[in-house]
Amino acid sequence: MEFTDILIYAVYILIFPGALFTCLFGLWLAGVDRKVVARMQKRKGPPISQPAWDFLKLCGKETVIPAHAARGVYLAAPYIGLASLIVTVLFIPLGGLQAFSTGADTVVILYLLTIPTLAMIFGGSASGSPFAGVGASRTMVSIMAYELPFILVILAVGKGMTPDGYYFTFSLEQITNVQSVFGPNIFDWRLLPAAVAMLLVIPCEVGQHPFDVGEAETEICEGPLVEYSGKPLAVFKLSHAIKMFVMTALFCALFLGGITTGMLWLDVVLALCFCTAVTLVSMTLLNAISARWRVEQLFKFFWTVVSGLALASLLLVWFC
Amino acid sequence: MTYDVYMHFPVIAIMTFFVGAFIVTLCGSKEKIRNVVAGLAVLIPLTLLALLIKPVMVDGEIIVYWMGNWEPVEGYAIGIAIEVDALSLFFGLLVAIAVALSGFYSFQYIRQDDARGSYFTLYLMLSGGVMGIVLSGDLFNIYVMLEVMTFAAVGLTAFRTWNPNAREAAFKYLTVGSVGSTCALLGIALVYAQCHTLNLAQISAILPDNMTPTMVLAFALLFAGFGCKSFMFPFHPLAADAHGAAPSSVSVLISGVFTKTGVYGIIRVCYFLFRTMGNEAVQVLLIVIGCISMFVCVTMALNQHDFKRLLAFHSISQIGYILTSLGLCTALGVAGGLYHAINHTLFKGLLFLTAGSVLYATGTTYLEKLGGLARKMPKTTILFLVGAFSISGIPPFNGFYSKWMIYQATFEKSAETGNIFYALVTVVCVVTSVMTLASFVKVGHSVFFGQLRPELEGAKDPPLGMRVPMWIMAALCAFSGLFPNIMLDYVIVPAVNAVYNVIPYIDTAMGADYAATHLTSYMPLMNGQLSVIGAWSPLSWLLLFAIALAAVLLVSLLGRSNRSVTCVEDSKHAVFFGGEQAEYSHAAGGDLFWGFKHNLRHYLGYMSRVHTGVTNDYMVWALTALAVIIAYCFAFI
Repeated sequence: MEFTDILIYAVYILIFPGALFTCLFGLWLAGVDRKVVARMQKRKGPPISQPAWDFLKLCGKETVIPAHAARGVYLAAPYIGLASLIVTVLFIPLGGLQAFSTGADTVVILYLLTIPTLAMIFGGSASGSPFAGVGASRTMVSIMAYELPFILVILAVGKGMTPDGYYFTFSLEQITNVQSVFGPNIFDWRLLPAAVAMLLVIPCEVGQHPFDVGEAETEICEGPLVEYSGKPLAVFKLSHAIKMFVMTALFCALFLGGITTGMLWLDVVLALCFCTAVTLVSMTLLNAISARWRVEQLFKFFWTVVSGLALASLLLVWFC
Repeated sequence: MTYDVYMHFPVIAIMTFFVGAFIVTLCGSKEKIRNVVAGLAVLIPLTLLALLIKPVMVDGEIIVYWMGNWEPVEGYAIGIAIEVDALSLFFGLLVAIAVALSGFYSFQYIRQDDARGSYFTLYLMLSGGVMGIVLSGDLFNIYVMLEVMTFAAVGLTAFRTWNPNAREAAFKYLTVGSVGSTCALLGIALVYAQCHTLNLAQISAILPDNMTPTMVLAFALLFAGFGCKSFMFPFHPLAADAHGAAPSSVSVLISGVFTKTGVYGIIRVCYFLFRTMGNEAVQVLLIVIGCISMFVCVTMALNQHDFKRLLAFHSISQIGYILTSLGLCTALGVAGGLYHAINHTLFKGLLFLTAGSVLYATGTTYLEKLGGLARKMPKTTILFLVGAFSISGIPPFNGFYSKWMIYQATFEKSAETGNIFYALVTVVCVVTSVMTLASFVKVGHSVFFGQLRPELEGAKDPPLGMRVPMWIMAALCAFSGLFPNIMLDYVIVPAVNAVYNVIPYIDTAMGADYAATHLTSYMPLMNGQLSVIGAWSPLSWLLLFAIALAAVLLVSLLGRSNRSVTCVEDSKHAVFFGGEQAEYSHAAGGDLFWGFKHNLRHYLGYMSRVHTGVTNDYMVWALTALAVIIAYCFAFI
């Protein structure tokens, strides 16, 4: 490997689309989300840069470690979660930019996405607070809730048809390539229910209102985050923002991929615009119009309605 | 080393265990000598089998050892053979590793028990029995070893005789387990009547072309017999009791090794002896049993309140993965199943040993009586987390790699056959995996995190002698997750090739061209090529993760350090209780996952009701299962 290669990879990992850009874009998405929700509720809302300022403010605050906490896990959890999220971004093709997309496939990403949530569960659980215990339990239930429709969506997208016949794949690269020939999956009527299911999975995986049962502020004081303060809390908030980016980017790769203009930078900008649009449709809209669900409602909804949609798509792809 | 030297290794490996078992008894109460003998008895087989990796796995040789030099006469194998191909060696290695690590763990672990002498006798008998099964080339020999293994395991289950649960579990195990042994014996008798031989290689050559109705019955009996030994559904309640009540070091063997002999037996029966695996009915039978085992046991595990019982149910759930994957009858499926078998031995061994450490330190494994141990037992906590992440398939640990192979194998099978059934099997596997994660979150939260119970103030990490075997297992978990290519090249693929092509297995034992003359309708059961439809490179993930973590930490450390250093018992550092007086309120154990349990309450309630714990009921299940399997085989084969 030559020096320029190393430099290019370093840029990929650390600046774009890696650590720095991911953080900034995630915070921007969170800001847009808050602003639009406020406008929908006829409020003026904070400036779009507010999540970034919140992050910086938290970084300056004192980090209090509860006397009952298991210190190692308590302090390590947020950083491990953030780092694994940044790595997950690298595996998802963004526009035509496939930095490391041969490193992992859709199923791997499904599993990689549990790591940040798991970090939050164990971090919260290590804090020794009963609120965090309840929050961790609820967060785990929401993981169980969304995983079923998620895998059904992956299988539905993974089976497609080309003029040569069927193909079965988990590879994001191949899914993108096929879409660049046959048009984005979202225009395939058989995959439409799966797309809707995925739009509902996104807020649940991100932990966004109305599916934020694990962090319900008014009931269990932000659950796993109740004891966190200072930098670790800032990192968790940042991870939450980045998750919005990861999930929308994954949606774009699965359903809106392969739209090319011929210029790489324009493709990437277009993909980022799609990410924003998906954020508005899947997260902001639900956030603004719905109250928080109870945990058993959430589980039931995902295992019946959302899974039903995804399963319908799978059956349609199979038999139509 | 030449063939003349290493052809003796397998038989020495088996003998060492049995000879060791008797010498241990002679040592009486001399603890040091006994430990040295037991240590040697578990290390020698491991060394010998490790030396066989080069000739058998890499060079593809097959070792045949005729006991007493009774070689085949006029095409009939009259003597007892020990035949080691890559598949046997694969299982042999798995056994040797688990036995060695768990053996070293037991030196410290059973120090509080009485009757330590008989512990090692039984332990080595169990190990020898298991090793005998996987290395033997003779069907009746397998049965004998099966009985040795079963009775040693029953004895070890009841080892802590002061514990009534242990005695009860041993009794259940004895009665219902005997159904399995009886089935196996009956099946073997029928095969002998038909083929006039007990040699595995010779039967593999004769039987597939002579599938009379009697042989269908024999197949069903052998299948049920080995299935009972692998504790597949509906034989699973035995495992829960036995694993739960036995000392942890024995649970490692029962869960990691004993059940694998059942899997090994099923592979030999379905892929070698009868070669019925090409029949779609048998594939569906294995897959359906695998999926039911997987799902039922993981939901049962979510309901458990005891650390070790929970682990026991997870064993069967993971056996379900293995059976499902083997049932696919594709190269990737067999590879995934075998990979999961070795991973299961490693991570479940690790988890049982951590459970043993918790028991050693606190005297209980009851989830509701534990809590907050991470502050007192930090090393055990890390080991537990490695095991928990491995079993729940969190990348980059080993459980993920094998599960990922299984998902691909099932999805690929659905591509080959165009049957949506296999895609739904993928879904069951993924859902089971996330429930596995949930139940380990439950264990982690209930045992290691949360508030420390006042009565556990004195708990501390186990001594070095117990920690080292656990670290080795954890390191192996990480290794087999991070370097799948090495595992595949040296261990898995040779074993898959052995399953794929049975001709060398027959010819090496019975002489050249024996297979060609007897097995006229030979067709390979599956495509021998491993092909993957996805991508996952754990090493590049690890590299990227390390860089990202370094970057994140660096940025974090660059800022002002503003951590409050003093960690004293004041209100600032106390846990938030909404302004109320702090009290002990650890939400753990059965309190967790209410939303999930509420939605599935009818199903979970039904499952709790039918698992009565009464031996008679489980006997009825076992016999019903036997009847169903026999009827199914007659209907579809």
